[in-house]
Amino acid sequence: MAKSKSVCNFAPKLIESIGFATLKTSFMVTDNIYKNEYDVIIIGGGATGAGTARDCALRGLKVLLVERNDYSTGATGRNHGLMHSGARYAVTDGESASECISENMILRRIARHCVEETDGLFITLPEDDLGYQRTFVDACERAGIRADIIDPEEARRIEPAVNPELIGAVRVPDASIDPFRLTVANLLDARLHGADTLNYHEVEGMIVNQNRIEGVKLLNKLTGEHVEVRGRVVVNACGIWGQRIAEMAGAKISMFPARGALLIFGHRVNNMVINRCRKPANADILVPDDTVCVIGTTSDRIPIETVDDMRVTREEVDVLLKEGVKIAPSLATTRIIRAYAGVRPLVASDDDPSGRSISRGIVCLDHAKRDGLEGFITITGGKMMTYRLMGEIATNAVCAKLGNTAPCVTATQPLPGSEDDTLDQRDMSKRYSFGQRAAIGRHGSLAARIEKENDIDNALVCECEGVTVGEIKYAVHQLHVHNLVNLRRRTRVGMGTCQGKLCSCRAASLMGEFRHDVKGAQADLAAFLDERWKGMRPVAWGDTLREAQLTAAIYEGLCGLDQVVDRTGKEDVQ
Amino acid sequence: MKMNTVIMGGGLSGLVCGIALAKRGQRVTIVATGQSTLLFNGGSMELLGYLDGKAVVSPIEAIASLSEEHPYRKIGADRIALLADQAKTLLDDAGIQMEGTAAANHWRVTPMGVAKPAWLTLKSHVHIDDLKQLPCKRLALMCIKGFFDEPNGMLADGLKDMGFEVDRLEFTTDDITALRRSPSEMRASSLAKRLGSNSALQRIADQINQLAGEAEMVLLPSVLGDEDHIHALQSMVNKPLRLVATLPPSVSGNRMQTLLRHYFQMLGGNYLMGDTVVSATLDGDRVTSVTTAKLGDMPLKADQFILATGSFISRGLVADYERVYEPILGLDVDADADREKWTRFGILEPQAYSRFGVKTDNDLRCLKEGKTIQNLRAIGSVLSGHDAIKMGDGTGVSLLSALAAAQSILAAQS
Repeated sequence: MAKSKSVCNFAPKLIESIGFATLKTSFMVTDNIYKNEYDVIIIGGGATGAGTARDCALRGLKVLLVERNDYSTGATGRNHGLMHSGARYAVTDGESASECISENMILRRIARHCVEETDGLFITLPEDDLGYQRTFVDACERAGIRADIIDPEEARRIEPAVNPELIGAVRVPDASIDPFRLTVANLLDARLHGADTLNYHEVEGMIVNQNRIEGVKLLNKLTGEHVEVRGRVVVNACGIWGQRIAEMAGAKISMFPARGALLIFGHRVNNMVINRCRKPANADILVPDDTVCVIGTTSDRIPIETVDDMRVTREEVDVLLKEGVKIAPSLATTRIIRAYAGVRPLVASDDDPSGRSISRGIVCLDHAKRDGLEGFITITGGKMMTYRLMGEIATNAVCAKLGNTAPCVTATQPLPGSEDDTLDQRDMSKRYSFGQRAAIGRHGSLAARIEKENDIDNALVCECEGVTVGEIKYAVHQLHVHNLVNLRRRTRVGMGTCQGKLCSCRAASLMGEFRHDVKGAQADLAAFLDERWKGMRPVAWGDTLREAQLTAAIYEGLCGLDQVVDRTGKEDVQ
Repeated sequence: MKMNTVIMGGGLSGLVCGIALAKRGQRVTIVATGQSTLLFNGGSMELLGYLDGKAVVSPIEAIASLSEEHPYRKIGADRIALLADQAKTLLDDAGIQMEGTAAANHWRVTPMGVAKPAWLTLKSHVHIDDLKQLPCKRLALMCIKGFFDEPNGMLADGLKDMGFEVDRLEFTTDDITALRRSPSEMRASSLAKRLGSNSALQRIADQINQLAGEAEMVLLPSVLGDEDHIHALQSMVNKPLRLVATLPPSVSGNRMQTLLRHYFQMLGGNYLMGDTVVSATLDGDRVTSVTTAKLGDMPLKADQFILATGSFISRGLVADYERVYEPILGLDVDADADREKWTRFGILEPQAYSRFGVKTDNDLRCLKEGKTIQNLRAIGSVLSGHDAIKMGDGTGVSLLSALAAAQSILAAQS
């Protein structure tokens, strides 16, 4: 009880600083933002941008973060959700491995409500060289990663889903992490410390004064408004899209987009992360994420012009399936619920623009030194896993420019939702309902903000993921939710086995009420179903095709949604 | 015991075919998994709702414009008109009282407030003959507090677009409040169970009578299945009261399924609930028996067989990684060989897989490796060449192909 009280004490502050800016998503608020002058403007609402915004705000800077779509729509939301121990890179890239294990240990403390401590296995199959295991364990040791060789029998016991043919296994501190939650937690903390954040604001150009960047030109995609906002330093944290942003500023970065496709299976087959103990290759990691599991990835170099086309091909699906069943044979008979792809932002070394020598590590470019362009910093490369460190490095560079000497505290200060280290949804001694338990799992101590006073708030909207009316209210009012896709990213509504078959209508209906816009809610519902379908279509056979037909029977046959919404040629603002 | 006919599948088409045969003295066994797509039914039957994206005025007249692959064309437009009348009578005999005619569609009201063309609609459900001449001006839309499977806002908005004045009135009763304490219990089906007593209905009626004010007609989500309960409530409420469809599970659809099954059993039909046909034995161009999961080594023998196993939803068709197939007999199917062509990019676009199904001749007899199987007919959603989603012909194809197949069997018998 004492604990929940401390959470409540924290709540009013939260409402004041976050609630105000979002509850009234009004023009007055955005107008004030547009008129402000900021110490730093961060472009990009992925984990890196959010982490940088948090760090800058904690060091006392006046921060604006802008994102052209929803938060975590780029590579942040399109990976395994794996919290690497670093073991995967130990043999090939010792530096990345050390960064990973150090960040891994930090995230377990500061982002515990986003992390599930599953541990991981590196398994050797009969077709692999068992000799590699020694090389691997030695490299892990050098990087400071605990790696215990265990008996295959023991591996089968602790992870029954593993391919029983395995001939070797190593246990490492891999874990599962929710990148959506992680990003939102960073943004929440940034806002708690005075930062402003705008989603659906696209950078159209830079305000350039001679050789100095003095701000950004923005398009508000929700209103169509064009505005300019001034800042003393602009940080480019746009992942693969950073090349385009740099070009707007007049700087050149050579990015090498590496596309990776993944498949989500209909339930959680494994409880530990399972990797192949060999040199990194296609489809060699299976990660348990909440109620599902994810196999990936492929790796293909793609032209920079195609980074916005995230459609998964038949070939990618075939490779993932073929390799996936070698890790966990039961995947062969498990329903695939969707396919998706993301793009890693690999950067060419400055001394070798041909791309032969590509850095996989963190790249922080001060364009003043590099291109004679003042007030502009690019932070790229790296991984979702190392977002905090990237934020720290970028913030150090910003602070150096602004003469700010405050120390970085992001490695020790818990994120909102993780301050209360006794709060645990698995604590069965507390009498939580299914929905409350799920909400605590998703929002940590912030779940205390979810209204649950009456039985309507406790009513379930999404049965697969245990999302209540109260949680949806909380997300709509406090987590920058404009549409159902945003809502899914904040709450997991529609992410479970049924892929939004019934809950999306319930949620759309509620959103229509909250926002007083029924027609908009119908269009939004159709857009949401379309977005779900995008991921289902590459794997539309078996039960996934059945689900699609069922969805069509309900929303088109029974309800006639297709008669009132025309989506021909619609490009969505997601 | 040898049957005259064994029907694989106990949904709308299987039951209607079974009833038509049992009525004429046939010994019929239906093997049913126990699930039916009637659970997604909005209280209406559709013969032909749309052609090239436009609402159809007269389904019977529009049949001539369908492609020759469509089951209606195989059966023949003249025969369809006769079978449509028979279907209405059969439903009525089963206790399913519907209004409408195949000569002209009327409009049903969907849970999202969309008017969709329909052939027959339950008398208890709201429907509109002519959108230009509404049956009344002002509606009281009764919304059950905490029931999310009726998108009230969308429904009210849609009714307003049709020209009604709508009063949205939220209400609850002690019975509903009790149900709401369990967060997952607020489904139409659990409400129907809870609200089935006269006292519970009276409490609802009291609320409605108190709230409905100036409205000329009262609309209530379809959370009452039993006709007696509906009639009781209608008599307690002092204005005309009509039901409006909810999201699944459909209480009225479930009731239709139950009434059809009872009628079939009353006629002496044998309904094997919770069982499924796993294989069939062929002798030349005839099926001799089928094996079910539960009966195991006791195959069901019959003179005639009916395949009424439904589409992908009901697993009458199965798609795997490489192909679409019919899982019991491996019958010839109309389906694209290339997986990429099964679907299209936008979910609301017409999808090719909707039209997939087993091939038949004009007498609905199935084919295997190009050869006609003489005593096996396919009916309902497992048939190819129609599109329940985009043409609004799903329930019509089920009812009418079922009756057509029964006719053929009975004709051959005599």
